[in-house]
Amino acid sequence: MHEFSIAESVISTAVEQCKKNGFSRVEKVRISLGSASGVMSEALLFAFDALKKETIAEEAILFIEANPLSGVCMNCLCNFTIYEPYILSCPYCQSNSFKINSGMEMNIIEIEVI
Amino acid sequence: MKIKIAAKILDANEKIAAENRQIFDNNKIFTINLMSSPGAGKTSLLEKTIKYLREKEKVGVIVGDIAGTDDALRINSLGVPVVQINTGGACHLDANMINNALEDIPINDINLLFIENVGNLVCPAEFNLGENIKVMILSLTEGHDKPLKYPLMFQKSSVLILNKIDLKPFLDVSIEKIKVDVTSLNPSIKIFEVSCKTNEGIENWTKWLQTLIS
Repeated sequence: MHEFSIAESVISTAVEQCKKNGFSRVEKVRISLGSASGVMSEALLFAFDALKKETIAEEAILFIEANPLSGVCMNCLCNFTIYEPYILSCPYCQSNSFKINSGMEMNIIEIEVI
Repeated sequence: MKIKIAAKILDANEKIAAENRQIFDNNKIFTINLMSSPGAGKTSLLEKTIKYLREKEKVGVIVGDIAGTDDALRINSLGVPVVQINTGGACHLDANMINNALEDIPINDINLLFIENVGNLVCPAEFNLGENIKVMILSLTEGHDKPLKYPLMFQKSSVLILNKIDLKPFLDVSIEKIKVDVTSLNPSIKIFEVSCKTNEGIENWTKWLQTLIS
């Protein structure tokens, strides 16, 4: 359900940036979600479409790029990249000593406006 | 045309959380964001913790619920200042709700603030409130499969309180499995086993908590 708060944040940032730059409509919004961010894309798309109505983003389409979970294993020193919501051990050597570098992030990349 | 933004989606929340943190730091208040599923024992743990600490620390509480004031009334009867936030449907607290609630908390007069989040094992983990630490409760009755089903909260919390350990003889639950899975998700998490019913482990937890408050 927190997808609604996240969608609200995406729309308000897009609307604000559109107006600030002197444009009147938001056409596309591109965001990236880490696979371990805890956000469900389908729920976010649903929330975005519900909340965009009666804003200057009401015609906007949301594009979601999925970013993998990536990190480095402290045991075998490999760099790993997986599309999973979490990781318990290195996918190569099964060691549980590893460092996560990315995969939890939620970023707005860009918007397209007219 | 395209406008590059390259910002965190929850930037607005993060900014207000940073503001809240500044208020806490300026007033030397240590703040705990307490999270769990509904019924895991957030209010019970607060009641027990406040009873142990109220003579040593000046405690304040913000309670978040979708509706109702039952929890605030329970805390209020212990004689500590409490503010109830009704989210009216929202499944988590956000930094702005805390910012507003701070107007009703005597911030000059407390040094320990508990924020009892809305009962939910998913959403509260995403929203920083400006707290010093996130503490979560898992009660044994929820089962040992929860850490791997709801990894984010276990990853973002500094402390896990395992509540209702007095029920262990009656449950097919493995505390060992919980600990192994949680530690794999979050190697630095601190785990306390408590029972709010029998008081087992409460003193351990409160003593440790006091070492964090300067």
